[in-house]
Amino acid sequence: MNFVTFEMWLEGVPDWILALPDWLQNFMYQFYQTFIFEQRYMLFLNGLKITAIVTVGALAMGIVLGLIVAIIRTSNDSFVSRKPPFILRIFNAICKIYLTVIRGTPMMVQLLIMGFVIMVPKTETEIIVCAIVTLGINSGAYVAEIARSGLMSIDAGQSEAARSLGLSYFKTMWYVVIPQAIKNILPALGNEMITLLKDTSLVSVIALRDVTKQAQNIVSKTYQAYVPYISLAAIYLAIVMLLTWLLSLLERRLRKSDR
Amino acid sequence: MTDKQVLIKVEGLQKDFGEKKVLQGIDIEIDQGDVVVVIGPSGSGKSTFLRTLNLLEVPTGGRIFFEGVDITDKTVDINLHRRKMGMVFQQFNLFPHMTVLGNMTLSPIKVLKMPKAEAEKKALSLLARVGLADRAESYPGQLSGGQKQRVAIARALCMDPDVLLFDEPTSALDPEMVGEVLDVMKQLAANHTTMVVVTHEMGFAREVGNRVLFMDEGKIAEEGAPTDIFGNPQSDRLKEFLSKVL
Repeated sequence: MNFVTFEMWLEGVPDWILALPDWLQNFMYQFYQTFIFEQRYMLFLNGLKITAIVTVGALAMGIVLGLIVAIIRTSNDSFVSRKPPFILRIFNAICKIYLTVIRGTPMMVQLLIMGFVIMVPKTETEIIVCAIVTLGINSGAYVAEIARSGLMSIDAGQSEAARSLGLSYFKTMWYVVIPQAIKNILPALGNEMITLLKDTSLVSVIALRDVTKQAQNIVSKTYQAYVPYISLAAIYLAIVMLLTWLLSLLERRLRKSDR
Repeated sequence: MTDKQVLIKVEGLQKDFGEKKVLQGIDIEIDQGDVVVVIGPSGSGKSTFLRTLNLLEVPTGGRIFFEGVDITDKTVDINLHRRKMGMVFQQFNLFPHMTVLGNMTLSPIKVLKMPKAEAEKKALSLLARVGLADRAESYPGQLSGGQKQRVAIARALCMDPDVLLFDEPTSALDPEMVGEVLDVMKQLAANHTTMVVVTHEMGFAREVGNRVLFMDEGKIAEEGAPTDIFGNPQSDRLKEFLSKVL
């Protein structure tokens, strides 16, 4: 039995609930169905775990990928008076194709192609990896342009000063340019993190049981959409608010040098 | 005969920016202990010349020897040579996200692999030399222009450079701060630091330089001791230039 009718539920509740207005009783009944019956809160928790893993994994991958693409694109564009080296032009062309294709197709379509054409995962672990890779590649394209704007926002004098002190190109990037660029792109990067978190709700199309999929499952069992979906929205909202708060802390920390 | 060692030798140096020929064949030798002051009208290629010396601008033609090594050779690791060529910029270019001490010790620690304590000790003694011992923990944003430029000089000195390149070090400063920066530079000259200085400060050129280069249209139009350049200019271009700036 995976279903309790309203009447069955009423028989089991303490008396004080019977005295409440109908709409409130109905709400409590739906709440019971959504979270408590058959320990369904565990479904949400398991879904949240998957949502978190996919978000963090895709975010890490997106940032690394985006930074690499951004560095290639900016260093290619930094050659103004002469042509960049051949190898750099090849990499730059690959990056441009990547940006065009990924930003030019819907995330949902990318998930379908990765899930059913390219990677075709079988086990749950494989599906999680597939989701992380797809979302990471997608996010990387957006992070790349955000990071590029950050790198370009740093005055050329900064890298000239670092290079004149004997720092190599990579040490200059790592110690001088990137830390300043990150500070400038943090708000835009925060936006991208939030988008990514919410986009993980699409992974249900490759049969991954994230928190959205779990809410759908509950609706299909209880035939009541109200509480599961509103709760789902509240869960996303809470995580986004937490993320925003953490980012503002980080931003404040990074701004300590511009007193 | 002179027992001075040639530190930098420039042969037929050219630099184009697209169609524009900024440097059109420069030949010069800079000896150890020289204080070479480069003057000239704006657009004459002074700054470009200075920036080619440590390859911040890659020359289009000609060669530059630094301590006997042709640094325009593509196989040379320029980072090794840049360590020994300190540079001070018009806009200071301090790293705003690091403290004064962080700015100064970054390269000694990350490039020379100097232990942190040693690098900091050295930085502090150099800070004291430029009169800013109490600002080690400040961020560049908290300093005045003159203080920033003195930190920039001290930062360059942390690498024990064999030559210091100054690119209009006082041009971005308020007039009352020019003096404090020039004083530090005079002190360096008195200690026989080799310096190449692009500047509009004619007083400094006359007083501190032992050689003055007058550049015009991408060439060295006239060269000589300050007394000759300022007291007995030969070319019409230099006379005209001096009549405007003095």
